[in-house]
Amino acid sequence: MKNRLAALLLVVLGMVPMARAHVGSKDVFETVHVGPYTLYVTVRPPNVIPGVATVEVRSIGAAITGLKVTPLPVTGEASKHPPAADVMQLSSADPAFYTGAVWIMAGGTWQVRFDIDGAAGHEQGSVPVVAVPLSVLKMDKGMGTVLALLGLFLVLSMSGIVAASVGEARVMPGADATPKMRQWGRVVTVASLVVMAAAVAGGLHWWNVEAAGYADHVYKATPVHVTLSGNQLELLMEEPKKDIRRGPPPPPNSDKLLLDHGKVMHLYAIRVPEMDVAIHLHPSLVGRGDFREVLPAMPAGHYQLYGDIVHASGFPETLLATLDVPDTMQGGALDADDAKAATAGISVGELGNSFKLPDGYTLVWDKPASMTAGTAYSFTFHLLDASGKPATDMQTYLGMAGHAAFVKTDGTVFAHTHPEGSAAMADVMLANESLGASSGMDMTMPMGPIAPDVSFPYGFPTSGRYRIFIQMKHGPTVETGFFDADPK
Amino acid sequence: MASSVASFATDIPRTERATRVPWTIWAGVLGVTSASLGGSWDVSWHRSIGRDSFLTPAHLMIYACGVIAALICGYLILYTTFGRSQTLKAESVSVLGFRAPLGAFIAAWGGIAMLTSAPFDNWWHKAYGLDVKIISPPHTLLILGIRCVAVGVLFLILASMNRLEAERVERGLTVDSAATYKTLQALFLYMGGLMVVGQMFFLQEKTWDVVLHTTDAYTALGIGVPISFAIISRVSGNRWACAIAAAIYTVYIISEILIFPLFPASPKLGPVFFQVTHLVPAKFPVLIIVPAIALDLLWQRMKGWKSWQIALVSGVVFMAIIFAVEWPFASFLLSKASENRFFGTTYFDYNSRPNGLDRLRQFLDPASGMHLFMGLVWASVYAAIGTWFGLLFGNWMRGVKR
Repeated sequence: MKNRLAALLLVVLGMVPMARAHVGSKDVFETVHVGPYTLYVTVRPPNVIPGVATVEVRSIGAAITGLKVTPLPVTGEASKHPPAADVMQLSSADPAFYTGAVWIMAGGTWQVRFDIDGAAGHEQGSVPVVAVPLSVLKMDKGMGTVLALLGLFLVLSMSGIVAASVGEARVMPGADATPKMRQWGRVVTVASLVVMAAAVAGGLHWWNVEAAGYADHVYKATPVHVTLSGNQLELLMEEPKKDIRRGPPPPPNSDKLLLDHGKVMHLYAIRVPEMDVAIHLHPSLVGRGDFREVLPAMPAGHYQLYGDIVHASGFPETLLATLDVPDTMQGGALDADDAKAATAGISVGELGNSFKLPDGYTLVWDKPASMTAGTAYSFTFHLLDASGKPATDMQTYLGMAGHAAFVKTDGTVFAHTHPEGSAAMADVMLANESLGASSGMDMTMPMGPIAPDVSFPYGFPTSGRYRIFIQMKHGPTVETGFFDADPK
Repeated sequence: MASSVASFATDIPRTERATRVPWTIWAGVLGVTSASLGGSWDVSWHRSIGRDSFLTPAHLMIYACGVIAALICGYLILYTTFGRSQTLKAESVSVLGFRAPLGAFIAAWGGIAMLTSAPFDNWWHKAYGLDVKIISPPHTLLILGIRCVAVGVLFLILASMNRLEAERVERGLTVDSAATYKTLQALFLYMGGLMVVGQMFFLQEKTWDVVLHTTDAYTALGIGVPISFAIISRVSGNRWACAIAAAIYTVYIISEILIFPLFPASPKLGPVFFQVTHLVPAKFPVLIIVPAIALDLLWQRMKGWKSWQIALVSGVVFMAIIFAVEWPFASFLLSKASENRFFGTTYFDYNSRPNGLDRLRQFLDPASGMHLFMGLVWASVYAAIGTWFGLLFGNWMRGVKR
């Protein structure tokens, strides 16, 4: 057992830290607007697949009388056959808070579908959820000891049974086993111990094979190779694993990738370890898995790259790479949809709730007094003009009122989210399409003036220090504000 | 041995001898029946509804077997070890300082194995995900535990049978004892039938209808079935033991096909590829009843032959007959003609892919020519070895008297 545990530990230690669409941030926080109903949804997928995802819903729109939930893939044949829906349990303490669980039996891009009933009638909404095996659980010492002792008892008692079966059991009641029988019994007992030792060894080997097979399925981001020639950045993605690609045919000209906010990739370059420079770029796809971008002028240094893409199956991924920018690089012009900004490094201290932007505008965060990891929040930011009044020349940025990136300073968490939530927009659209025309799910941005206030549903996956990058657009300017958080 | 019998006969008054089947045996048979039905129900539950918890009726039926085993074994071990009955002590063996009939210890071992498998399986789910296949290390320990409870109950029956048989040889049986012997023999054959059900349950992933044109299916049948037949036939002493055991298996599975789809059930998890509306039953039984009848007839005519000679002939006969009947029958099962309530080939799991062989009703990797021939030759060898081992083990089992 000890060797077995040691072997398992090695498997665990040898694994890359969990990474996926977002990095280290598996929970989905999403706002669902459907008809008059608004649901603030948190889905916490399991670390192992098949597994159970928990679902929490707070109803903040028209009153609802019943809520049901069911899981199904966003694409493919199984997306047409929803399993029987489960009734979500209403909290006894909070009349607008519901909890439930959905069983997800295969990896891929799923949706959690809601059947909503209320005075305003029946509606359906959907939240995309990425389900992939993220880790292998190691057995704790207590459980290992109990199982090992039970196993030892089973082996010893079986050898006792075998000894009795060739001795006493074969004589009529009242008679004694003969010396020959006893001698034979000893031989068979030893033989049975050898056979059982071999069986236990075989069982452990089988366990190792199963564990290794599972570990092989644990999600790892598709590897990407980075080259920088002058200011020309090339990201060459390796062929993704088959389970990621599985899905319907890709849209034209995207080479098996879906457009997300009209872009094939959203690339964040963050200078590390200080996290004092953040650049949001949109490389173009020039060939299969081959992304190119002319880098703008940027401070020299070591950058962590996070490239968000969505495969044709709806599976979103964050590609991970690093880039060293030399001080000799001549940067090109910044595209209209791109943005770059700089501030003080994290070693200088924690940034405040108000971030002064280069053009005199200010970005202000209604920062909660205290924050804890695992809790769902709606973080609200306001853009003020040079006179300190709410900005009036707001524009959408890539079709959204704002973009946020939550990045842990130790590099283990990266989540690019939007006011709708943390799911990739392309997946939200796929999930919405699968609902059909009957759905009242509202996927379009509200027409008319854009408010200078934006809220992002999100929860920090772990405690520790995070830097938050908020992007909003006014006039032709894409603003980037920096904030710090330290959830407990 | 003769002196032992004589001493037994004089030491213990005849009135103290059991002339009825003890309640422990009835309870044990009930427990094994419960586990068997629970196992079938649980597999169907996983194929139809998918989602479960510890407290599903199917799980409760399986664990009832463990509870019953614990009760009867606890009673037998404690009562024999610490009680005053000299008869019970005389009819017991000693294991780790305790006294009880051998079967009680085997069943108790099975119960503890079942208990051990529960936390192991729970951890397994947390580490590697919820059930996707039947044959995993913790499930194997659970199945081993259930099988040991069954074997333990079998030995409780057997020891009583063997003692009565020795008594019959020694001085004849009273009318009551003869009736008891008949009941015990019937119970043994019933348990033998459940043993075949259990064996085929373990082999079901290898004998699915769409794989019945592979050599693997026949290898699995060769390894798993003749050994059970040989044991049941040799120990029970009944001329039609194999046929009866195989008939129990056949009726059991056909009943499942006829009964399960009467109950509404729909999947509660995804991905759902087939819209299941009722409990999905097992696949139609493999026609092992045909070689079972052949082996009964064969063995009635081979009395006096050496075990290895019987095994050699039986291995070839078993394989030749099962191949001759099952191969064309499998083609029938994959044809439109079998798509009805009786053969049940229209029932699929909720996660049966529309392009999967099961849904398309196509054979997986059908074997032919030399590959098929050699596969069947090897399967015959396994069947012969299994028969030989079963005969030897059966002979040994006939000697168990406590």
